[in-house]
Amino acid sequence: MAAVQAASRLRQPKAPLKMRLVPYLFLLPNMAIFGLFTVWPAINGFNISMYSSSNGRTFRWEGAGNYQRILTDEDFWGIVRNTVVYALSFVLLSVVLGVMLAVLVDQQRRGRTFFRSVFFVPVLISPVVAGLVWNWMLERQNGLINTFLGSFGIPEVPWLVDNALAMVVVIGVGTWMQVGFYMLILLAGLQSIDPSVYEAAKIDGASRWRQFISLTFPLLQPSILVVVVLATIHGFQAFDFIYTLTGGGPVGATTLIVQYIYENGFVSPIRYGVASAGSVLLFCAIFALTIVNWMIGRKREAA
Amino acid sequence: MSHSTITKSPPEIGPSKAWTSTGRRKVTSTDALRVVILVTSALLALIPIVWLVLGSFKTPAELSKRPPTLLPESWGLSNYTEAMTRFNFPSYLTNSVIVTLAATLLTLAINSMAAYALAKYNFRGKNGLFLLTLATIMIPLQVILLPVYQVVASLGMVNTLWGLIIPAAATPTGVFILRQYMLSIPDELIEAARVDGAGEFRIFFRIVLPMCRPALAVVAILSIMWRWNDFLWPLVVAQSEAVYTLPVALARFTAEETVPFNLIIAMSVVTVLPVIILFLFFQRQIVTGIANTGIK
Repeated sequence: MAAVQAASRLRQPKAPLKMRLVPYLFLLPNMAIFGLFTVWPAINGFNISMYSSSNGRTFRWEGAGNYQRILTDEDFWGIVRNTVVYALSFVLLSVVLGVMLAVLVDQQRRGRTFFRSVFFVPVLISPVVAGLVWNWMLERQNGLINTFLGSFGIPEVPWLVDNALAMVVVIGVGTWMQVGFYMLILLAGLQSIDPSVYEAAKIDGASRWRQFISLTFPLLQPSILVVVVLATIHGFQAFDFIYTLTGGGPVGATTLIVQYIYENGFVSPIRYGVASAGSVLLFCAIFALTIVNWMIGRKREAA
Repeated sequence: MSHSTITKSPPEIGPSKAWTSTGRRKVTSTDALRVVILVTSALLALIPIVWLVLGSFKTPAELSKRPPTLLPESWGLSNYTEAMTRFNFPSYLTNSVIVTLAATLLTLAINSMAAYALAKYNFRGKNGLFLLTLATIMIPLQVILLPVYQVVASLGMVNTLWGLIIPAAATPTGVFILRQYMLSIPDELIEAARVDGAGEFRIFFRIVLPMCRPALAVVAILSIMWRWNDFLWPLVVAQSEAVYTLPVALARFTAEETVPFNLIIAMSVVTVLPVIILFLFFQRQIVTGIANTGIK
């Protein structure tokens, strides 16, 4: 009797079962796809990095063997070096050029929207096409750029043939494709700065450069942090435009980690274990760097 | 320079008004330098696209000329018509359109339902699910490429359009944008509809969804832009030519050098133009969507 009463008292404030199910029904389709194609693979990724396979169907247990293999592989370290060089230069260039363009666009009265849109156009373009067009323009013998430089008497530049130059090109095109996106975030940050903070500086006769260093830059830091975090993630993921720009060449000089994962996982000869160990290492790198970025950002804000 | 300048302020008399926002400003050397940098950067941003479009009208003979010519000799569309007839180009185009539209519709449907549950209901596990969704923004497809492929393969979805559409449909960013927007819908509105006897799903479809149009537009546009240009996942799943999307076809043909370059250029223009046109029409939504969320 008492138990029944207790039970009914417990149940009383709750809505009927049908009502309580409603939110779960709303969530079901999204969470089913999300769980099956994102959460489960993310967990399973660690698991399959312990196995090896040369065809993607039959697997052999390796334990830490894949990691041992990949960490002692000289090719892999070359790819890590390429990826780090690319990502660091890309983040640095993106932030510097992004801030520069955002400040210039913000100060421009006539045609501000026009410039903002124009800088955003490369972001919209299919990366495959971007790589293809730049490859075409950078052709050594008859490319648009060498022809243009040639009219000033500059000899043919081996853009995509020289290892170091090819990396410079990849960094440049990567930045060309993305900087308009970062500029947009920074521009929104600039426009949220209260204009009255500049009035005092103007009355004091501070130069524009002085205003930028002591007012704009500190106030823009939250937006810069967002850009640094996003650019770091984008930098480590770069793949699609490189595929048509250099194909990772010459002789692997511009092969980055995602291409390494793709080729080991899907292009024969397939080395599944190495590819999945590489994925896990990439995840760890992105995760660690995002945390570090946020911590540096928060420390700066506190100081 | 605003309208008020023209109507209110007299022609510039002295330098005293130079710093006010309403006065006619003197063109200083900094202004000139700024415009020069902006125009140069704008040219750098646009030249590759202009060069591509110009190239799409050139014949193979023109394309191999030394030095390259700037303008095409004629503005004929032969590259486009030839690409349409000589290759399975219409099929890649159709695949791209189907994948982009179906994926976007699916994303809108399931993301908005999930966002509604997370914004307007209290239930066990709500915070946990929301945090899980947010956390996976950090896990890009590149990192889980192989395990996702295994799931898709075991479901028999390799080389199907479903395999391209479904896996990435449950975007965490879409859920996030829509949830934030739905939080601003007053609870009283939903309560009132309940009192009137409307069912939960009816309330969602008839009252909540129509109010979310701006947020739905942002999610839809971002999804279309991303799906249309997406490359790595289609490259992995669309292994047979029948399911190639435009970017996959372009990349494969460029690598194999099996298709004449003038046709590659025409295909590239068709790949690029729809997104640029979309941007011109929905600029405001795209810009505010990105500025507010930092998501592409």
